[in-house]
Amino acid sequence: MPVLELREVTKAFPGVLANDRVSLVLEKGEIVALLGENGAGKSTVMNVVYGLLSPDGGEVLMDGRPARIKSPRQAIDLGIGMVHQHFMLVEPLTVTENIVLGREPGRFGAIDFATARRRVEELSLRYGLKVDPDARIIDLPVGMQQRVEILKALYQGARVLILDEPTAVLTPQEVRELFSVIRSLVDEGLSVVFITHKLEEVMAVADRIIVMRAGRVVGETSPEKTDDVGLARLMVGRDVVLRIEKTTKPTCGDTVLHVEDLRVRSDRGLEAVAGVTFSVCGGEIVAVAGVSGNGQTELVESIVGLRRPLAGTILLKGVDITRADARTSIEAGLSHIPEDRHRRGLILQFDLAENLVLGDHRVPPYAKGPLMRPGQVGAMAATRIADYDIRTPSAGVLAGNLSGGNQQKLVVAREIGRDPELLVAAQPTRGLDVGAIEFVHRQILAARESGKAVLLVSLELEEVLSLADRVLVMYEGRIVKELASGEADAETLGYYMTGGGGEKLSAQELQAPTHGGNA
Amino acid sequence: MLGDIITPDLFASALRMATPLALAAIGGTICERAGVVNIALEGIMLTGAFFGTAMVLLTGSPWLGVIAAVASGAGISAVHAFASINLRSNQVISGTAINLLALGLTGFLMELWYGHPGTTDPIKVLRPIFNFESPGGGAIAEAWRWFDSIVFSHTPIVYLTILIAIVAQVAIHRTKWGLRLRALGEHPRAVDTVGVSVYRGRWVAVLMSGALAGLAGANLTIEQVGSFTENMTNGRGFIALAANIFGRWTPVGSYLASLLFGFADALQIKLQILRGVVSIPPQLFLMLPYLLTVIVLAGVIGRAVAPAAVGEPYEKG
Ligand SMILES: Nc1ncnc2c1ncn2[C@@H]1O[C@H](COP(=O)(O)OP(=O)(O)O)[C@@H](O)[C@H]1O
Ligand SMILES: [Mg+2]
Repeated sequence: MPVLELREVTKAFPGVLANDRVSLVLEKGEIVALLGENGAGKSTVMNVVYGLLSPDGGEVLMDGRPARIKSPRQAIDLGIGMVHQHFMLVEPLTVTENIVLGREPGRFGAIDFATARRRVEELSLRYGLKVDPDARIIDLPVGMQQRVEILKALYQGARVLILDEPTAVLTPQEVRELFSVIRSLVDEGLSVVFITHKLEEVMAVADRIIVMRAGRVVGETSPEKTDDVGLARLMVGRDVVLRIEKTTKPTCGDTVLHVEDLRVRSDRGLEAVAGVTFSVCGGEIVAVAGVSGNGQTELVESIVGLRRPLAGTILLKGVDITRADARTSIEAGLSHIPEDRHRRGLILQFDLAENLVLGDHRVPPYAKGPLMRPGQVGAMAATRIADYDIRTPSAGVLAGNLSGGNQQKLVVAREIGRDPELLVAAQPTRGLDVGAIEFVHRQILAARESGKAVLLVSLELEEVLSLADRVLVMYEGRIVKELASGEADAETLGYYMTGGGGEKLSAQELQAPTHGGNA
Repeated sequence: MLGDIITPDLFASALRMATPLALAAIGGTICERAGVVNIALEGIMLTGAFFGTAMVLLTGSPWLGVIAAVASGAGISAVHAFASINLRSNQVISGTAINLLALGLTGFLMELWYGHPGTTDPIKVLRPIFNFESPGGGAIAEAWRWFDSIVFSHTPIVYLTILIAIVAQVAIHRTKWGLRLRALGEHPRAVDTVGVSVYRGRWVAVLMSGALAGLAGANLTIEQVGSFTENMTNGRGFIALAANIFGRWTPVGSYLASLLFGFADALQIKLQILRGVVSIPPQLFLMLPYLLTVIVLAGVIGRAVAPAAVGEPYEKG
């Protein structure tokens, strides 16, 4: 008998059918991966199971008995635990306080902190989830915070654990650790639902794979019976090219970007970029590869005018933009797809048209003197929305209401649509599902075809290998190796990315968790 | 001269003046820790002051008056709770509406029940609890005079307030209620997902803050002034909000901050005697507590961190 069963669960939001008769089964001791694009309805269906949403139809069965789950309390009492996509942790409180919240040990209203702490330590030991019970959440790295979330569910007595996109925020190292934690949970008799849109993870960890698309379950398979191409097809509903082949040779035109002996300080005052020299010419994609935190962020910020370099020069088509601000850089022909689309790429409270005109809002035809021209902006927005396939009811929708993939298309539409000389793309596919990744990759390649210079900064080896004409490997603020696309493979890149001195990581080890991860 | 200003009574009076501020400030602390801004403290205090007085006028019992003040404070705060929790309206607007409502309602009922605006008849007040004989003369007697005045000269609610500050401080940090309260103001959804009702937790906090602000009103009328005057709270509810912030959203901190403001108020009264000596407009002294509020809010506490979710209505799902 299955531990958890869903029969024809249906849930509609105004204007969207988020779940359309979703049926699925979870057996005891099983890891089921729930795979689907952003917006497929994965979180919705699991929120129904957890009692956060009430379904419009269908039923949920626990241990074969129909369960009317109306609140998280009831879900918890039935033995269902959920780790949400956005953590449900109270940052100023300690690990112990967060774990016992709602089920605090103690009498007469007082909390018995000694007992609470001991239970947390016991659980932590039993499941191999090491964590300091007295640390404040705010001081912990995300990987550790996630452990606290898992411990919280276990403390509440979860037999079924739902993990909603647990790897989205983890480094590759943390992803590996999470996978081994999940396996040990299953060995202890738990059953796990693992929500993701990343194919490699599904292949690595799942016993069974359930694929959702547009609110429906569209298929069920297992890692032995399929491969990532098959999964991608099922998930997106069409053939997806996971790795786009470039059809043309790079045509190196004039030098567009030249960076000479650049030194940049990080926020913490350390020299994050320690003397970097390179150039990018028109019609070429140069990728900067590296493990996160090796100076890529600071390099990008100084090129695009968001961070003042300590020393060195940056030339854009011969114009010195070393100390230029972002406005001057844009006017000089630079476009930037920032790594954090929410913080730097978009204004979520603005609508699509407003977001699309940002940066060009002062210049004709979008402005005339101090006034903006809504007609021109609207016409441009309509064209871009069509050209870049942004799925939205209208240009007047707020950017914050789009799915992640469509938000990124919006940024791409603005930055490439501006027709720049140089495109700086920092982690342009972070957090996107395969369909959207393919789209963004095609746009970047199209920019290259039309003779633009592209500087791609990515943590994803797959992305670097499939797009780059040349790869610069960055390690501790320096470019330690330059490789032509022919010479680069995952193994070589990994070797230089980790400093070149250490042992070679196997390609497998580097690739699987790195792709889609965000180290 | 200085001896006329720095007297035992200055400190005793600081403690008295701090009491209504502290009660309302602790109310504010509890409310904001749960994630609800309570700008209505002023109006709730006024409501408590009025109904407390009315009850004493009706029954002749000061203690029944205190109960009426607390109950009416909780009652009118229920309006704020309903508006800001269930209806998810803007909490600042709801609070402002209650302040205006309280002002109008108490003025209207004055006319209706007592037939005139302004001030009610004097009421029977609560007396200081202790009344010790002072020993003869000398330095010891002088020291005792100070001690007696500062520690033993007070009415019940003044002591009760200190007790409330300590109990609330412990409760917030050591009890289940306190843990959930702290979590509510930071991340209500986290509280919801562990199966604890956000609405109920917030309702309880808002009602408690209303009861405390009502008690503050009782202290003003039934212990300090001995009658009700329209708009007699005179901005104390807002100073209490500042004290809560200055006290970094903790009950004891709120109390200590209130003590500072209370001291400024007491000092201001004492300084009035200087009027005969130098020609300073009395309004300048009257400004003192408010000036201090502005300075404190603008400068010293610039970096105090409010509960992350304060002011945000919570919506399920
Ligand atoms: N609270 C909500 N209100 C309205 N629409 C929602 C809400 N939550 C999700 N949706 C919509 O339901 C669909 C499914 O969303 P979701 O379950 O979050 O997808 P997934 O987790 O697979 O990325 C999306 O179209 C999303 O925009
Ligand atoms: Mg989701």
